[in-house]
Amino acid sequence: MKKVIKIIIFLIIFYFLLVNIFKILWLDKNSIGYFHDEPKNSLDVVYIGSSNAYAHFNTVLAYDKYGFTTGMVSADAQNVAVTKYMLIEAQKYQKPKVFVIDIGRICDDDLYIFSEGDIRKTTDSMTFSKNRKEAIDTLLKYRDTEKDKYINYYISLFMYHNTWKNITEKKFVGDENLYKGYVFSWDTSRTEPQEKLEWVDNYIDMPEEDEKILLDLIDYIKSNNLNVLFVIPRKAFDEEYMGRFNTAISIINENGLKVLNFNNMDDFDVDFNTDLYNAGHLNVYGATKYTLYFSKYLKENYDLPDHSNDPLYSSWDDEYKRFKESFGNKTGNNFDELLLEYNEMY
Amino acid sequence: MSLTSLTFLEFCILALIIYFIVPKKIRWIVLLASSVTFLFWNNLSVYTVIQAIIVLLSAYIFGILIDKYHDTRKSKVFCVLGILIIIAQLIYLKYTNLFLVTANHIFNLFNININFGMVTRNSLLGISYYSLIMISYLIDVYRGTCKPQKNILKCALFMSYFPILTSGPFVRYENMEKDLYEGHKLKYDSLCKGLVRILWGVFKILVISQRCGYFVDTVYGDLGTYNGCFTIVAVILYTIQLYTNFSGSIDIIMGISEIIGINLPENFKAPFFSKTITEFWRNWHITLGSWLRDYIFYPLQKSNFIQKLNKKCKNIFGKKFGKKIPLYLSMFIMWTLIGIWHGGAYTFIIASGILQFIYIVLEDLLGPASEKINKKIGINTEAFSYKLYQALRTFLLFSFAMIFFRATSIGNGIQIIKSIFVYNPWVLTDNTTLFTAGLDLYDFRVLIISIIVLFIVDGLSRSGSVREKLFKQNIVFRWTIIYMLIFAILIFGCYGVGYDPAAFIYRQF
Repeated sequence: MKKVIKIIIFLIIFYFLLVNIFKILWLDKNSIGYFHDEPKNSLDVVYIGSSNAYAHFNTVLAYDKYGFTTGMVSADAQNVAVTKYMLIEAQKYQKPKVFVIDIGRICDDDLYIFSEGDIRKTTDSMTFSKNRKEAIDTLLKYRDTEKDKYINYYISLFMYHNTWKNITEKKFVGDENLYKGYVFSWDTSRTEPQEKLEWVDNYIDMPEEDEKILLDLIDYIKSNNLNVLFVIPRKAFDEEYMGRFNTAISIINENGLKVLNFNNMDDFDVDFNTDLYNAGHLNVYGATKYTLYFSKYLKENYDLPDHSNDPLYSSWDDEYKRFKESFGNKTGNNFDELLLEYNEMY
Repeated sequence: MSLTSLTFLEFCILALIIYFIVPKKIRWIVLLASSVTFLFWNNLSVYTVIQAIIVLLSAYIFGILIDKYHDTRKSKVFCVLGILIIIAQLIYLKYTNLFLVTANHIFNLFNININFGMVTRNSLLGISYYSLIMISYLIDVYRGTCKPQKNILKCALFMSYFPILTSGPFVRYENMEKDLYEGHKLKYDSLCKGLVRILWGVFKILVISQRCGYFVDTVYGDLGTYNGCFTIVAVILYTIQLYTNFSGSIDIIMGISEIIGINLPENFKAPFFSKTITEFWRNWHITLGSWLRDYIFYPLQKSNFIQKLNKKCKNIFGKKFGKKIPLYLSMFIMWTLIGIWHGGAYTFIIASGILQFIYIVLEDLLGPASEKINKKIGINTEAFSYKLYQALRTFLLFSFAMIFFRATSIGNGIQIIKSIFVYNPWVLTDNTTLFTAGLDLYDFRVLIISIIVLFIVDGLSRSGSVREKLFKQNIVFRWTIIYMLIFAILIFGCYGVGYDPAAFIYRQF
């Protein structure tokens, strides 16, 4: 018995060392990493999606305005095919009032063209579990060249142990939960000005695999009785895509679930000349408009609590302050003044 | 299946779990099933199965016959017959090209226009090991050192015991018989010590050997760019690569066997602390040396031919020098065979055969004169500095020979030697050039620290098992060392994406 206890203690210490040493060696944290930093059951909204999620919804602004907390389970180029697994991942730690799922890429033709980095950005930050393995398997199914390297995805250690050569002070002292998962970009010069088209009413078939993924996701949501709101982010779509999204919206609605299409609203819009970072993403100005509108919608429709005066949530105030300072440094403008201007609109 | 691959780890864990779960009586069957699986893992075909069956049946049937006709002429005939079959197959599978190359050279020498093309033979993993092991089995039965194994499956297990198939050590039936077939109980002590030994082996391979390999491969792959000091560093690092790769594999093998409860003979005893090449070979690949001494050298020395030659030489050259000629002849044969065993190419025969023979003969011939000179000029041969000089000399002589071990041909070996003499000492001092050959500054730092650790551990092992010493320490110190070892492997090991678990240098043998 004494020997068994010894072995258990040895393994516990080993696990503790492993987790902490490899935190230092790991990649820089992304929004999913910050999501995992939040205390258990402390989030009121969980927002799942690709870069459209973390670049469009300013979590700290929403908190400052209405007092509810939002966690971002989103990574750069996060594939729609893993949304189900992200829902499972989120439920392990949080019991939000609503899951917001960004489906801005659900009708993409190139949904299955992605790099090793795209897989890693999503799955490396997930906790080691069967669910994570299934998410990796799902993505590798679409990427033949990576299949034989599956073990390197399952055990990220195989990939990152070599980063010991580049460990900086930041890796040792850690980083605070930067803006609670929101990532902002401030310039407007990344692409040519986008053409703004009116939303059309025609229906075009979704790509077959995309539809399969959507139906599978809906099936999971319904069978687990989850409160989910789908969103189609505001960006430059052409008519073909609008037709596909109309099909996706009808499938979702037919299943009794709700979609907000930010490209086809009477009371919301962004300025394509000033509010876009590039064709697919809003900059901080567009994101502020979007957040003001959408956070109000969430507050009104989902009975979200207000933690504004709760000292347990003070880190949200701190991050909002940090965001405002950073906004000032990057743009030379005052965020509060910007809000005064935008508040009149939304 | 590489010894440091995850597949091997999973394979061993599964094999060990099943071994310790099943009733004691049938545990050896688990070992047999694991060994057969391992043997044919990537190479299962009728052809390879026949190869294994030939060796097994030769040893099994002739072993029984030798015992049955013990002390009769027939016994000797059966022993020779069994050995010949095993050797014939070994030569056919491993050394056909050596004969073809030799024939081509001879034809070329006499301007005969015949040129044999090289052939590819699909030989089973570890054929050089299990062939020699089964030859020694037949000889031991013939000598009456052991009784033959009557159960063919048990005989098959002795031949194919999976941990030793890739890198040895050479085992004797009389030493293995009890351990191999007896069902062992899992002991906490053996488990801990076995795991630590495995970790140390993995450290040697993944942290040191693999890292040396990057530099050596870069330099030897482009001698036009990398020469002079690059080559000198590569020659030294290749010896360390070879040692850590081979002895690391042995550590893993010994560790696994220790967990099972099977004692294997040690194959290395801090060889780089040896003061002479003779001593070096008593500490390097010990079981191969003792195999060749017991089954080649001593029988040769006792043979009628050598005895007669001994007498003749004594009459002609006097008692002192005359006895050396037959001795050197026996040694020459033995060292040539060591060279051949290491691989079917002349580079191996030169590197681990002829050059080693020359070193040892020179040591024997020049040793007394050297002692006299040292006495005359008053050199203290007991001083640490003198012992250090001797160890360094041995290391460099061995490293020089290993140039041919690594070379792709004799010509390539000479090219490497020539490239040493390019004058570019700034490579070592300008703080950048050295780091362009596969290893950057960080890797060199890790490598140097790891090699220092290696030498400290090897030095400590000369006065007894380092693990025994470690396990006598208090738990905090003991666990700290073990955690450091684990994390050194996890962080500084050369594995993962883009890393191909390199084939062990000795595996092909």
